[in-house]
Amino acid sequence: MRILIVDDSAMMRKMIRRVFALVDVPIDEIFEAGNGAEAMEVLEMHDDIDVLLTDINMPVMSGTELLRAIARQPKWRHMRRVIISTDGSAARRDEAAGLDVRCYLEKPFSPEVIRDVLNEVA
Amino acid sequence: MFSTKWPDTAPVAGGADAVLSAVSDVAERSFYAMVEPCDADRFAELAAAHRDWLVAVVHFAESDCAGDVRCRLPVALAERLFDAFSGRDPEDEAAPAAEIHDLVGEFANMICGSWLTRAANERTFGLSRPAVTEAALPESPAAPGVSLAIDDQPCLVEVVFTLVPEGAAAH
Repeated sequence: MRILIVDDSAMMRKMIRRVFALVDVPIDEIFEAGNGAEAMEVLEMHDDIDVLLTDINMPVMSGTELLRAIARQPKWRHMRRVIISTDGSAARRDEAAGLDVRCYLEKPFSPEVIRDVLNEVA
Repeated sequence: MFSTKWPDTAPVAGGADAVLSAVSDVAERSFYAMVEPCDADRFAELAAAHRDWLVAVVHFAESDCAGDVRCRLPVALAERLFDAFSGRDPEDEAAPAAEIHDLVGEFANMICGSWLTRAANERTFGLSRPAVTEAALPESPAAPGVSLAIDDQPCLVEVVFTLVPEGAAAH
């Protein structure tokens, strides 16, 4: 499984990587991006990414804008999309439901929740 | 006396209790830390032990409602949270200040998001990238907020509304 983590906090990306190492899920490669625009560059170079985990509130290009851009490209249709955000409001979850998002994960989260999400989308 | 008070005209629900719940949730789930509400005397006593402080500011905004969440905490608590979050061994080399600032920003970001999820679930606020700076604790509260102890170290979470919906009911 190839995973792209998109979050403007390097600390949060590091934390998610650390959680990946703790959970028993086979992962081949992990990519990182600091915002939606950087994520688009990574996706253009690696069209075999299986899972996208993205924050919502980011500078330059938000997670919502990123998910809209991905939805417009048939070549990325296979990619499972997961939101990891501090914003767990009903309104934001409704918005995500229209963007082909498989899971909505609210920060703060425990390692077990990440493991369950990866197992669900694997 | 460091006494804080929740604004009488806050346009979101839950009051100071929603802030306390958000901080507790974030601190316990991501940082394995215990949170207790603090009265003015206890907060002043805890704060007196620290000279170096950080403040992280997250701006939240929707069409007709906006404001800032400010988290003020001593550097010692920031380092303690960093170790818990990153798994750093206290015996290891000290973490760079930039990484500590990033962590404090994420801490404030999570508190802001978690509080707004509780207090205004029907709204979709945009949150700014946190701004983290070194700033001494003011001698008296600069804004309404909640004073806390996190693992027996002081933390102050202030909330300032800069845009309030017209005719909004106070909570």
